[in-house]
Amino acid sequence: MQILLVEDDVEAAHHVLQGLEQGGYAAELATDGRSGLARALAGLFDLLIIDRMLPYMDGLSIVTSLRQSGKRTPVLMLSALGTVSDRVDGLRAGGDDYLIKPFAFLELLARVEALLRRHALEGAVPPVLRVGDLELNALGRRVTRAGREITLTAKEFQLLEFLMRRAGQVVTRTMLLEAVWNLHFDPQTNLIDVHMSRLRAAVDRGFERPLLHTVRGAGYLVRESAVTAESS
Amino acid sequence: MKQRTLHYSSTRLAVIYAGLCALCVGAVLWMGFLITARGLTREVDRVIAAELDGLKDEYDQGGLARLVATLNRRTDSWGRSGAVYLLVDARNHKVAGNVSGWPLQPRYRDGWVLFDIVARERSGNIDHPVRARIYALDGYRLLVGTDISERRMIATRLRDTTFWGIGFAALLSALIGWWYSRHVAGRVREVAQTCEKIISDDLTQRLPQSGSRNEFDQLAAAVNHMLDRIEQQTCTVRATFNSAAHDLRSPLHRMRVRLESAVSRVPLEHAAHSAVEDTIADLERVQRTLATLLQIAQANTASALRGGEAVDLAELGQELGELYDPEARQRGLTLLVRARGPASVSGNRQLLAQLVANLLENAIKYVPAGGRIGLTVEATPTLASLIVSDNGPGIALTASAAAPRETHGPTRHRWASSAADPPGSGLGLSLVAAVVRMHRGRLALWDNEPGLIVRCDFPSVTAALS
Repeated sequence: MQILLVEDDVEAAHHVLQGLEQGGYAAELATDGRSGLARALAGLFDLLIIDRMLPYMDGLSIVTSLRQSGKRTPVLMLSALGTVSDRVDGLRAGGDDYLIKPFAFLELLARVEALLRRHALEGAVPPVLRVGDLELNALGRRVTRAGREITLTAKEFQLLEFLMRRAGQVVTRTMLLEAVWNLHFDPQTNLIDVHMSRLRAAVDRGFERPLLHTVRGAGYLVRESAVTAESS
Repeated sequence: MKQRTLHYSSTRLAVIYAGLCALCVGAVLWMGFLITARGLTREVDRVIAAELDGLKDEYDQGGLARLVATLNRRTDSWGRSGAVYLLVDARNHKVAGNVSGWPLQPRYRDGWVLFDIVARERSGNIDHPVRARIYALDGYRLLVGTDISERRMIATRLRDTTFWGIGFAALLSALIGWWYSRHVAGRVREVAQTCEKIISDDLTQRLPQSGSRNEFDQLAAAVNHMLDRIEQQTCTVRATFNSAAHDLRSPLHRMRVRLESAVSRVPLEHAAHSAVEDTIADLERVQRTLATLLQIAQANTASALRGGEAVDLAELGQELGELYDPEARQRGLTLLVRARGPASVSGNRQLLAQLVANLLENAIKYVPAGGRIGLTVEATPTLASLIVSDNGPGIALTASAAAPRETHGPTRHRWASSAADPPGSGLGLSLVAAVVRMHRGRLALWDNEPGLIVRCDFPSVTAALS
């Protein structure tokens, strides 16, 4: 997977590049807006990570130009501007996700993975999701495990659906809060952990093999096999 | 409502203006009438007095015969118009004059005698009022007077003209007053509506100027100049915030990636690893405080929200209540949500959600186990109210919603920027106050005895639109 990072803060950018490469991605750097747009238009990248404030051409203009030229490459916007209106501006310009600096690198990785997966699966939304013996019917609003019906609240169902659609992929607390509650701020409490522990109790209790896993320092994932460095 | 008040003011102004004008014009016309009427009477009196003096002289010089001759001559040919003469003897027998006999029912006033004579005219017998003086002449009595019917007719016409004049003056004044007040009220209304637009949505709006350089144009020019300055300052402040955000977050970002990079590349001993993780946690706190500060600053400099969406506070309250309920239960608290909708306000859902989250997190953090937290949303035709109450420790109610930064003691302790922050920063309530202000709402804090009630009133969507 090829990723282009457009960032003028060279030191921070190199650390991010290293992290992306460690995560298995091939990443390149452009340090100003003009060269970033030129390289993005060349169309050789699967994902663009674009800083909002750049020399010569700002991030919003790059995304707008890309979308106007018909490029649908997913864009993750980075910004030191973190107000609600800044985020809205970024997404309206054509960005697919928005991350405010400073961010945890695992948060960046999770969002990169989610964007790449979303892009790859665009249009294909299976109504029945399966992870191991856990089955979720999105149309019938029904969840079963090993054939046994599990009763969930509406929000718990949404949480599980979001996780199962990204099975095997780390989902951060912020991503869950954004997707399930449509809240774009950090509530600063262990709210999501409390909801997840209730969901885990409903899904995993009474079964030998847990499917909901906590990835320390990052978030959660649903998968059949165990997770390294997890605490569930 | 404001429009109606203005309209009422203009009507009242017109009525007052018309009343005052009519009073002034009426006073002037009435004075003119009185002076004219009195002048006419004086003229008649002066003529009668002069004529009486002349007839007395005739009598003194030529005796009764000369007086009679003079009277006969005057009544026959060249006497003045409306003149009344009568000379009678001691037994009231007419000796000379142009009336048939001594008046039967004379009325005396200030030395003058008033009576009516009957004149035979084409239309029949007509009473004519007479004003006269009587002079005694050695057993005879001489009466000299004037038919004042014409004078009375003139006075009556003059009085009628005066009344009509007062009426017309009142009507004209009312019309002018109405037009003028409508004109004034119209300009004031125009200014008020533009100001409302500026407050609610657009700082680029300016007051209209007619180009006539009148007081309204001067006022509009001064206000527009002030708005130019405010807009310029707001732009400068926004640019400063953006620069500050960039300049502060960028080094924080570098620090964080350096630390994370170091942890991931080099295996650190436990103590060093913990130190790095603690530093990252502190960085996150600094970042949150910075984010809150910037959000407050931006909310305080914004005139109001632009292009707000309709947000149902009741729905938002229910969602946030559902989000926080498990945590409240885990801490042994009861969170009771009563949100009757719709309670729509025009605003920013994320900021309003942050406001509710701040209030709930604060209550959850400070209310001891076993306590109760209430989240209520109420709606009236004009207001949507969100109330968070608890029976926790409360705050010192020296705290004022208008100036939360002046809060002291328990308030500062309880209201950190978020429940996770160390106490003392007091930013949480400031953020709530800023979001309320940004949505043109009102924040009030009450003592729940024990505990705290925080009430946020917002104009409902319909009220905000009007």
